Amino acid sequence: MSDALALRSTGRDWGPWVLGGAVVLIAVVFLIYPLTNAMLLAFVKNGEEPGWATLTFANFARFFTALSYQRALWNSIYSGLLATMLATALALPMAYAVARVELPFRGLLSAMSVVPLISPPFIGAYAWIILLGRNGTITQFVHQWTGVTLPVIYGPPGVILALTLSYFPYVFLIVQGALAAADPHIEEAARMAGASRARIIRTITLPLAWPAIAASMLIVFIKAIGDFGVPSILGGEFQVLPTLIYYQIHGYFNLNAAAAIAAVNVLLTLLAMLLLGWVNRKRTHATVGGTSRAAVRFASPGARAAGILYCWALLFIAILPQLVIALASFADRWPGTMLPESYTLEHYRRVGALLLQPIVNSVVLAGVATVMCIAFGTVTGYASARGRMRARWALDITIMLPFVLPGLVIGVAYLIAFNSGPLVLTGTALILVLAYFTRRVAFVFRTVTAAISQIDPKLEDASTICGATWGMTMRHVLVPLVAPAVLSGAILVFSTLIGELSATVLLYSAQWKTISIAIYELVLGDQLAEASAIGTITTLLTLALVLLASRLVGKNMADLFR
Amino acid sequence: MPPAALRVRNLTKRFALGASTVTAVDDVSFTVNGGEFFTMVGASGCGKTTTLRMIAGLESPTSGEITVDGRDFMAIPPQQRNIGMVFQSYALFPHLTIFENVAYGLRPRATPRAEVDRRVAATLALLQLESFAQRHPAELSGGQQQRVSIARALIYEPTMLLLDEPLANLDAKLRVMMRDELRTLQRRLGITTLYVTHDQEEATAVSDRIAVFNLGRLVQLGTPAAIYSQPQTLFVADFIGRANFLPARLDDRALPSSGATFGNGARLRPAQTMTLPDNEARTLASADDCVVMIRPEQLLLDATAGDIPCRVQRIQLLGGLLRYTVEAPVSATPILVEVTRAPAGVAEGGEARLSIPASDAILYRR
Repeated sequence: MSDALALRSTGRDWGPWVLGGAVVLIAVVFLIYPLTNAMLLAFVKNGEEPGWATLTFANFARFFTALSYQRALWNSIYSGLLATMLATALALPMAYAVARVELPFRGLLSAMSVVPLISPPFIGAYAWIILLGRNGTITQFVHQWTGVTLPVIYGPPGVILALTLSYFPYVFLIVQGALAAADPHIEEAARMAGASRARIIRTITLPLAWPAIAASMLIVFIKAIGDFGVPSILGGEFQVLPTLIYYQIHGYFNLNAAAAIAAVNVLLTLLAMLLLGWVNRKRTHATVGGTSRAAVRFASPGARAAGILYCWALLFIAILPQLVIALASFADRWPGTMLPESYTLEHYRRVGALLLQPIVNSVVLAGVATVMCIAFGTVTGYASARGRMRARWALDITIMLPFVLPGLVIGVAYLIAFNSGPLVLTGTALILVLAYFTRRVAFVFRTVTAAISQIDPKLEDASTICGATWGMTMRHVLVPLVAPAVLSGAILVFSTLIGELSATVLLYSAQWKTISIAIYELVLGDQLAEASAIGTITTLLTLALVLLASRLVGKNMADLFR
Repeated sequence: MPPAALRVRNLTKRFALGASTVTAVDDVSFTVNGGEFFTMVGASGCGKTTTLRMIAGLESPTSGEITVDGRDFMAIPPQQRNIGMVFQSYALFPHLTIFENVAYGLRPRATPRAEVDRRVAATLALLQLESFAQRHPAELSGGQQQRVSIARALIYEPTMLLLDEPLANLDAKLRVMMRDELRTLQRRLGITTLYVTHDQEEATAVSDRIAVFNLGRLVQLGTPAAIYSQPQTLFVADFIGRANFLPARLDDRALPSSGATFGNGARLRPAQTMTLPDNEARTLASADDCVVMIRPEQLLLDATAGDIPCRVQRIQLLGGLLRYTVEAPVSATPILVEVTRAPAGVAEGGEARLSIPASDAILYRR
């Protein structure tokens, strides 16, 4: 026995070094290199090599000279800000109601609120055309009954509406989670001190929930300014930074200009994050928990009626696009009436033949990317949670940055980095897989980090004391314990990749067309019924996968998105 | 204004738990006199906290009455009941300074600014917190946070003070210190106080009267001394203080002067009377099984004198007293004996004699 122990202790434990090296290599080649390369290209004129001699700010100068650039920048900022504020204004009452009022089907409410997050936003955008477009159902209806002609949906109102309703669940889910987790005794103490309900909300509830509110607002803002599908379908003449990037590439194939716009987009994102950090610095408070008692919820009939009405009405409006799409996919004739005049399965039949290849493509691409996310996300999540790396912050940034950056920015970075030079990947499936991996690895990383920080490090110490190598400890102790978290992160990765559009739209090639591209093309080509059929299938598939993930980790579906 | 008197009548609280209902508080009635320190004690889940929260108005009763000075309390929303409350987690507002925390209750009462400053200063001084006014709760120790939460509850001169396990998060030494301080403060202010704790020692140390709760019912109400010396049920005897329970059989019907015989044949002969507090015990018939309860300090241990032979397993020194754990044929479980002075000739592992003074023993139905 002592021999075996001696052997083990003299052999050097190479496991962490090999894995760590692989992680660094992947991070450098597929995360750091494309991003810095894209940033470099932004400072060079189209067609020139980056270098000191060719350094120029010409690409950025257009933000000062070209009206279209200025407009797009301003449009991005104000539509993003307005959507963020509207989303917050809509979501806060719902979060408060679900956390503090005795509502029936509270679990269902939270679970359903996930639907707008998992269905591709551009499907929602297109549903609003069916409802509020020039010949839209609601437009016609309002005109018939009141004679009022609703404002045109195309342009800022439509974009802001669709963005608001697509992303408000982030505010709802995060704030509701924070309210539910807060020590209920704090509000009760205020109540015993004589404070009215309104005073408690103003002086206690809102100030304490502020960090969560601010964080969720940041997410909405970042998502809104990075969204490509909604403005490209509902924007009309209304250009924002992502659509500007798209047209620079598809119209002029000017990668340098696109890179410069992307850099500005990144700058906006980073500014928002800095602002949040600055706002939060002085206002985060460790909650002095220590009770398992849940907050007492109001059960007065008035509060309940108001809560039920508000929550379900908002949820209905938010899910309306998905319902409309589902209806449209079965509609034979729908000429601006309240409901379709007749129904058919024809669209599904037609789409079936058309769609097999894109579905296979999407599943293969998303599947491979998911496997990569599992491997990379687990190892890096472990390293970050256990803090055995000195450059932990660098790892966190490297992984979280592509997650918060707009998909089109990643698309541009990849186009530039892998179009020429040592590694040429444009037009291949691999470039899509890598872009997907980069954009989504944070999902696994975050769930694993959270799961590992829950596990007592003494378990690993115990395994080591028993004589296990690092690899054995990982395989037999840690991996089995974090497996459910990894799996749920992986399903989230996979399901959200099925509808990924903004990076795909720059990187796909004819033979690797995905579902999202197929829908996008059908929408642009006015084959709306077929697009609806695919959209419905995609949404249902995604919903089923997310439900499966929540079952696997034994969590509420809503928890996966918090 | 004289201190408020509280009356609770037939208070019941049922919760729906899935398809079934759980009765958390079951037909509880009691009266708290003005200025009294009244403690509800019991194991977790016994209904004491729920009762307190119903008095506070944070929980609404299924049925029953709560009146204060004859006024129906249940019609008043909690924020208007003018009650001070201290929580186990202190529930300090983490985003406010100590000054703002303590001043909080004055804001809804539209107090002028100068008056707020004056009263906060006075209340902070009362609890020796003057130097912390501009700090935040997270910068204070547990004991200091505890004081802040008491200050916050007292500043608006409430009619009653409710405390829900206020000392449970403190370490043992601080707990004893704070409970004495709390008692002194309560005496000084003369405020009617309702206190909830699971710690029977804490309850007996500070209270004027104690209500012992078990499974949602109030099982005994009385002064600490009365409850300790005359526990009405086996549960109370076991819960309050330490007790030995010896199985026995009643000799004959002629209670209360009857004797009892232990399993080994040893007899318990009452000198004068035996106490029969339990209602059920009064119905005990001759030759019925019963339990003899005797406190450790009431037992007599000697090297030679005594009717019951025993063997000393262990001797522990607990502060000022000695605890002997002895094995005797009258009980399957070890018997505890507590004395302040060690009996001569009794050593660990050695033989000794035990006697049970029948006048101190209390009989319960088994």
